[in-house]
Amino acid sequence: MEPPAPPPPPERPAHEDTRGFVRRYIFSTDHKIIGIQYIITGLLMALVGATLATLIRLQLGWPDHAWPLLEKLLPGGYQGGVMLPEFYLAVVTMHGTIMVFFFISYVLVSGFGNYLVPLQVGATDMAFPFLNMLSYWIAFLSAAVLIFSFFVAGGAAAAGWTAYPPLSAIAAAVPGSQMGQSLWLLSMALFIASFTMSGLNIVATVLSVRAPGLSMMRLPLTVWSYFIASILGLLAFPPLTAAAVMLLFDRHLGTSFFLPSGLVVANKVLTNTGGSPLLWQHLFWFLGHPEVYVLILPALGIACDIIPAFTRKPVYGYRMSVYCLWAVGALSMIVWGHHMFVSGMSPFTGEYFSLVTLTITVPMTIFGVNMLASLWGAKLELRSPMLFVCGVIALFGSGGLGGLFLGNATADMQLHDTYFVVGHFHMMIGGVTLLATFAAIYFWFPKMFGRTMNETLGKAHFWLTFAPFFTIFFMQHFLGIQGAPRRYYAFTAYDYLQKTRGQNLVISLSAFLLVSSQFIFIVNFVWSLVRGRVAEANPWRATTLEWTVPSPPPHGNFETVPTVERWAYEYGVRAPGGDFATQDVPAAAVPVTA
Amino acid sequence: MNADTAAVDAVAVREDQLKLGLWMFLATVTMLFAAFTSAYIVRRSGSDWRHVALPSILWLNSLVLAASSVAVEIANVRGTRTAWRSSAAAMVMAFALGIVFLAGQVVAWRQMVSAGVYLPTSPHSSFFFMLTGAHAVHVIAALAVLGWGAVATLSGARDPRAWTSRMSLCRTFWHYLGGVWLFLFALVSLY
Amino acid sequence: MLNYLLLTVGALFVAGYVALAYFIWKGSRRDAIGPRFASKKTERLLSAGLGLGMALIAEGGVLAIGIPVWSEYFDAVAPADAIEIEVTAQQFMWNVRYPGPDHVFGRTDPKLVDDNSNPLGLDRTDPQGKDDVIGLNDITVPFGRAVHVRLRSKDVIHSFFLPNFRVKQDAVPGMTPEVIFFPTQTGHFELACAELCGLAHYRMRGMFNVVSQKEFEEWLKKQQ
Repeated sequence: MEPPAPPPPPERPAHEDTRGFVRRYIFSTDHKIIGIQYIITGLLMALVGATLATLIRLQLGWPDHAWPLLEKLLPGGYQGGVMLPEFYLAVVTMHGTIMVFFFISYVLVSGFGNYLVPLQVGATDMAFPFLNMLSYWIAFLSAAVLIFSFFVAGGAAAAGWTAYPPLSAIAAAVPGSQMGQSLWLLSMALFIASFTMSGLNIVATVLSVRAPGLSMMRLPLTVWSYFIASILGLLAFPPLTAAAVMLLFDRHLGTSFFLPSGLVVANKVLTNTGGSPLLWQHLFWFLGHPEVYVLILPALGIACDIIPAFTRKPVYGYRMSVYCLWAVGALSMIVWGHHMFVSGMSPFTGEYFSLVTLTITVPMTIFGVNMLASLWGAKLELRSPMLFVCGVIALFGSGGLGGLFLGNATADMQLHDTYFVVGHFHMMIGGVTLLATFAAIYFWFPKMFGRTMNETLGKAHFWLTFAPFFTIFFMQHFLGIQGAPRRYYAFTAYDYLQKTRGQNLVISLSAFLLVSSQFIFIVNFVWSLVRGRVAEANPWRATTLEWTVPSPPPHGNFETVPTVERWAYEYGVRAPGGDFATQDVPAAAVPVTA
Repeated sequence: MNADTAAVDAVAVREDQLKLGLWMFLATVTMLFAAFTSAYIVRRSGSDWRHVALPSILWLNSLVLAASSVAVEIANVRGTRTAWRSSAAAMVMAFALGIVFLAGQVVAWRQMVSAGVYLPTSPHSSFFFMLTGAHAVHVIAALAVLGWGAVATLSGARDPRAWTSRMSLCRTFWHYLGGVWLFLFALVSLY
Repeated sequence: MLNYLLLTVGALFVAGYVALAYFIWKGSRRDAIGPRFASKKTERLLSAGLGLGMALIAEGGVLAIGIPVWSEYFDAVAPADAIEIEVTAQQFMWNVRYPGPDHVFGRTDPKLVDDNSNPLGLDRTDPQGKDDVIGLNDITVPFGRAVHVRLRSKDVIHSFFLPNFRVKQDAVPGMTPEVIFFPTQTGHFELACAELCGLAHYRMRGMFNVVSQKEFEEWLKKQQ
């Protein structure tokens, strides 16, 4: 489990960086540049995803309303000013796909993962820098293909981000299932290739280039979370690759992997025989469930490392938290069927999945309470990163509790495919991972760019994000209990849903507030890049290794390879620099407390 | 610690990294074929399953692939005895046999097609083409790795230690795919 | 089940927020940190306590209430007097079929399907199909009897969702999942589709009517 740290490479004098502009910033193999490339790409994709969300909420808040301006901007999606149902479904599908894979995964997992892991393990770069560069450019291509799919005949994929066949397999079933769905599948294949390269890199780096003395149990929780999330991704993505290949074959080459006999679409009997739509669901969710843990584990790890900088004491229960990360990772691979309780799979299998799903609550609760308990006895400084982390803790608990309903197969019968699920996963992905992403940006911006973000704008951004966010997704849980199904273009066709009109209006208005508030962040981000106050090496007085090098770090990171003799949470001690000791401080200078 | 031992240790770290990277990649590839296999098993239980006769050339292809694995091993043994010329010859042989294997697979596909069995003809044929296709794609990648190893051997393997590490990667990847082939062949033939 | 969860989860929710608020309030008032570590004993107790507590609430709920209800639901055999209905979903409507006095559904064949004249693809030559009663988007059942629905789909996955009855089951092409339930009230209840099926997924509405035995017989006679 803990291989001995490799022998120290020779000391290197700080070398001159002779690379030209293209090698330095475009086709760079430096993990820091690649990390920033991922982050910028992800933030741009977030703008697209947020725009799509705005369109959704416009439609749900004011169904049947005419929007002449939108028709001018998006002529394919509107008729008579009213949004077309086929466009709505494409918007919903692409919103989900972009936010999950191209925003959170790019910014939080690949972006910050690439940036932080080599620095925090005391390395000069990733284990495979060229592979790293390749992974980014394939990721870029994947995003480009997906955006391109908006502009093909039939429009973007419209079968949901889950792409269940036969809807996603038969071109006549919904317009997005023409070329749009094929491009979606191609984009996913590229994404998976890119992610695999990235994941390999992170695992290899953590195992082979840690600084001398940096044993596994001295690693910050951030590194642990990226390590485990990467292993999870490596093992979980291939079934989706397999499924995507089979779906492409069903769509274009006449096979029947997922298409059963006797299908009649547009009054024509299809020639497929014997395939199983459920097979897609099993393969998709085999990835789909671990995927959300791939997103959330780094969020939780990062939160655990930001907390101590603002409580000035060690994170609570470090060892236990590491074990919990492992437990969650392992368990997440065997619970995928809880997405399929009413799918027609065997009820006995449903019982198994229900029982195992609820065991995940154990390590997650322990981990969550460890985060909460880290605030106990703290000397709290509520700066922007810390505010966002408090938001992470709050939404982790709130959203996570919804999981108790959904994991319970019997309760799920009422709640499956309703807004309860939408509320739950937005709280977890939108809430926990999004707020953690913001926390990470505010926290590491000074290190990445050598400048400081504006604190007042940061605080305003937090409150104007947290309040509407909580409102929207907490309310959606109740919409689900009232029986409002997902992916409905409007709720106007049902008597029992008329009473949701007011709630949808409130949710839509809150959503507009949420989206507009992000401009505060964009302004802060861009302004600070150019005119922010110059940042010192360790503005937050934090202990992990990235804070021991200049802001921004030079190419090659460390002038001399650090030697580590302590864990990552030496806060609350008497040290020459203050109340903390960075990980490279020798044991002789400041006593080691763990 | 002097500069020489430091340099050697840096090489050792690099070897470990590459080996680690390869094993993790193989874990990913294993999951891919595991997913295909589980899909096969699920589909096999369908009432419309019809086993199509597979071309007998597949047996020959299997032998060719096995022979190329043997050739790689011979290359390794000869190299450890610093018999670089015969080692290089064996590597070239292994590479050539790999190409022959791929050619043989193409022949097998063409025989299927001329017998009127295409990709969508039956579930069994769908899986046959898809599984052999996926395997062939990975073989092409492995040929690149094998080529890299062959080049190192051909140049007289000036650095035996680095050569051993390179060979280890080649052997692992190549034998792995040979093993995957045997498994897939058994699956589509027998089950 | 829902009440149990709402109560327990609600309590945990409130407790969590109170604790968070307290720590944040206390922490921002402090000048110096408290003890750096909790004792090993506290850590162990907290973990064990939390683990067992959560396990009890979550798994306990599933084991004590969830699974028994789930098993009862799925192991249930339709009573002899259950009303048998076949619902075939398609884009974007619910085809309804009753087996008629012979209690046997007639043969169907996808090749015979014509969306205008024969949406179910009924084999008109099958004697057992002659007494089948066909309807669209309207299901009527007599109060006091169990309902046994066989679900089919012609094109994509749909889902048979009766929000008032907490009944939900996907209608998957190539399969025939079944639902058995016992209405406890008369009235007119809406049927919604709960699995994305295309453009008009949002208005794939049906009516599920629970009426008296007499009304049901009158209605059935009128359909035949």
